[in-house]
Amino acid sequence: MSSRTIPFGKFTHELNVHENKYSYNEMVPPIEYAADGSVIPRKPKDLVISRQYVYRLLQPYVSIRFMEQVKAVVPLALYLVLFQILILRQSVVDPWVINAGLFAVIVGLMVFMEGLKVGLMPFGELLGVALPAKAKLQTVVAVVFLLGIGVTFAEPAIGALQTAGSLVEVSRAPYLYALLNDWSGTLVLMVGVGVGLAATLGTVRFIYGWSLKPLIYVSLVPVLLIASYMTVNPELATVLGLAFDCGAVTTGPVTVPLVLSLGIGIAQAGGKGCDSLSGFGIVTLASLFPIIAVMLLTLYVATQTTPEEIIAAAQAASAAQETLSWSQASPGVEIVGGVRAIVPLVAFLLLVMVVLLREKIPNPRNIAFGIFLCVLGMIIFNLGLSYGLSMLGSQSGSLVPAAFTELPQVEDSPLYILAVGLFISFAFAWLLGFGATLAEPALNALGITVQNLTNGSFKKTTLLYAVSFGVGTGIAIGVAKIVFEIPIAYLLVPGYLVAIVLTYFSSEEFVNVAWDSAGVTTGPVTVPLVLAMGLGFGNTLGSVEGFGILSMASIGPIIAVLSTGLYIKWKIARRHAASTELAEQVGGI
Amino acid sequence: MVSRDFTVLVDVSMITCIVQRGKANEVVQAAQNAGAQGATIYYGYGSGVRERLGLLGLAVDVNKEIITTLVADDQVDLIMEQMFCVGELDVPGAGMIYVTKLEKAATYIPEEIVERITAKNS
Repeated sequence: MSSRTIPFGKFTHELNVHENKYSYNEMVPPIEYAADGSVIPRKPKDLVISRQYVYRLLQPYVSIRFMEQVKAVVPLALYLVLFQILILRQSVVDPWVINAGLFAVIVGLMVFMEGLKVGLMPFGELLGVALPAKAKLQTVVAVVFLLGIGVTFAEPAIGALQTAGSLVEVSRAPYLYALLNDWSGTLVLMVGVGVGLAATLGTVRFIYGWSLKPLIYVSLVPVLLIASYMTVNPELATVLGLAFDCGAVTTGPVTVPLVLSLGIGIAQAGGKGCDSLSGFGIVTLASLFPIIAVMLLTLYVATQTTPEEIIAAAQAASAAQETLSWSQASPGVEIVGGVRAIVPLVAFLLLVMVVLLREKIPNPRNIAFGIFLCVLGMIIFNLGLSYGLSMLGSQSGSLVPAAFTELPQVEDSPLYILAVGLFISFAFAWLLGFGATLAEPALNALGITVQNLTNGSFKKTTLLYAVSFGVGTGIAIGVAKIVFEIPIAYLLVPGYLVAIVLTYFSSEEFVNVAWDSAGVTTGPVTVPLVLAMGLGFGNTLGSVEGFGILSMASIGPIIAVLSTGLYIKWKIARRHAASTELAEQVGGI
Repeated sequence: MVSRDFTVLVDVSMITCIVQRGKANEVVQAAQNAGAQGATIYYGYGSGVRERLGLLGLAVDVNKEIITTLVADDQVDLIMEQMFCVGELDVPGAGMIYVTKLEKAATYIPEEIVERITAKNS
């Protein structure tokens, strides 16, 4: 009797799996030869796949990106709604409209970010490589400047400013109203000029390796001087909050990566971009320069018109409101806004690529599709902004004061005694800022960079908590500013002075990180929510304007991170001192 | 002359599996559940189906993860199937998997296992 051994694995496999084997030789197309015997290169045809495979391909692709935005939007919205229901005992007005709006925000951001990745980022990267190689420094600087203006228009959060403009009461703050309504295009342009100048200066700084500290001192001097001048004039003072908030709005998901990729490319071509800090600093300048630009614009507007004229014009406009053209009514205005935000930027990039650099555009089909996604996403996001985030934010904002003061629309208000109610309001604001910042993905990335930069002495979590604490405190102070009607300059001028002093004592690395951390915290979800909340809050309390919360949320983390950095430095120094002392003692014995 | 023991394994196959970036850990886990001891993952990028899908190709990440794992010949089919299913390699552009028959391999092998097998074979 003969026995044969079969591996058990083979046996079970035969039982369970039905394998169909095909020869690969039969699948590959035959090679074709030209007359001279050389191989004709084969160009495979495009694949057409069935609907089922399209679904299986797209389903994970879409769901990952969708969940990313859900994580950014839902917790914040949920927090606002729960707070309103549990603490203020008020139901949410128009819940379905707000739900649909929030959904639009999620979808819009998803589409927009993907379009940015597919359509615009490849442009930025190519420019960063090709521009310094083919053009003179003057040309490079000019392109960077114009690009800074372009990206500002494309920033999704900038639309929140215009939405906010409709909430301002003209008779109380005429200049503010004028800037946000009649001059809103110029306003965004001036912010763009600020960002453009910042990008230019930041790039030049990369090339020559300048320190950031003197740049901060030099740019803060005009900021503080003009701010102090404007505080004295009560008409002009109402615009200060807006001016400082503009600085926070600019540094969003379009500006930062596009300008940075260009800046880093140029710096590397210039030869000094290899140090670990390259890439920092532009964000800082991009949040300071727009402040100056907006304040200067205000001063200019003040020379052109008087408050009385603005009020009269606004009343005339509201009387003529019946005859709105389609581009001013709701879906029309969002569509126009979306197209106007993206198209100029794209046209400019194309022009530079084709005319100035004579580069071919790689994958034109993909890029065109990406740009289409950008525009579409922007339109959906703008719709969501008007119906979801702004509505929810202003609703919560207008109801929170019911915790400590009497409101006609809330029964039994004040709901709590004054001290408790105020405490609840500030805690609400603090938690909102803290939570929103902690969840910000850009901050996480910054945290990892910082940890590597400092060889682990500044932990990622330390930075996360320092920045979140700073933002939370900033927003709480900002709300206090509206409640007690503290002029914004009284808070910002000392805040920036403290920051200057801390900057002076800090090392270059920490200065870079701290000032940039202010920029990464204000994303496209936080900005409209906080802006709308502040305005609703301010309107309910009858204060002149509700801006300024965002600017407090910018200065907060700067101070928090700088102090933490100094504390860590002091701790390390003490440990070093202790160990040398110990060494000396040992040596002495 | 100093002599050293050197244990060589035979009946070993190498499975190489290319999956979309971010999916490797899941696939390795499936391989381990089916009997693989460990795996090495490295990053790469490639071309192929992605370019031929037109706009749909945007849904395929250029970046890939490449998993290599050494498995016993008896288990190679089971592990390959598991990796194929978890990696969803039947989607266009998702990646591929292949098996290479190895002549021999060597690595750390716990002494008691060597002893047990020596005892059984003798």
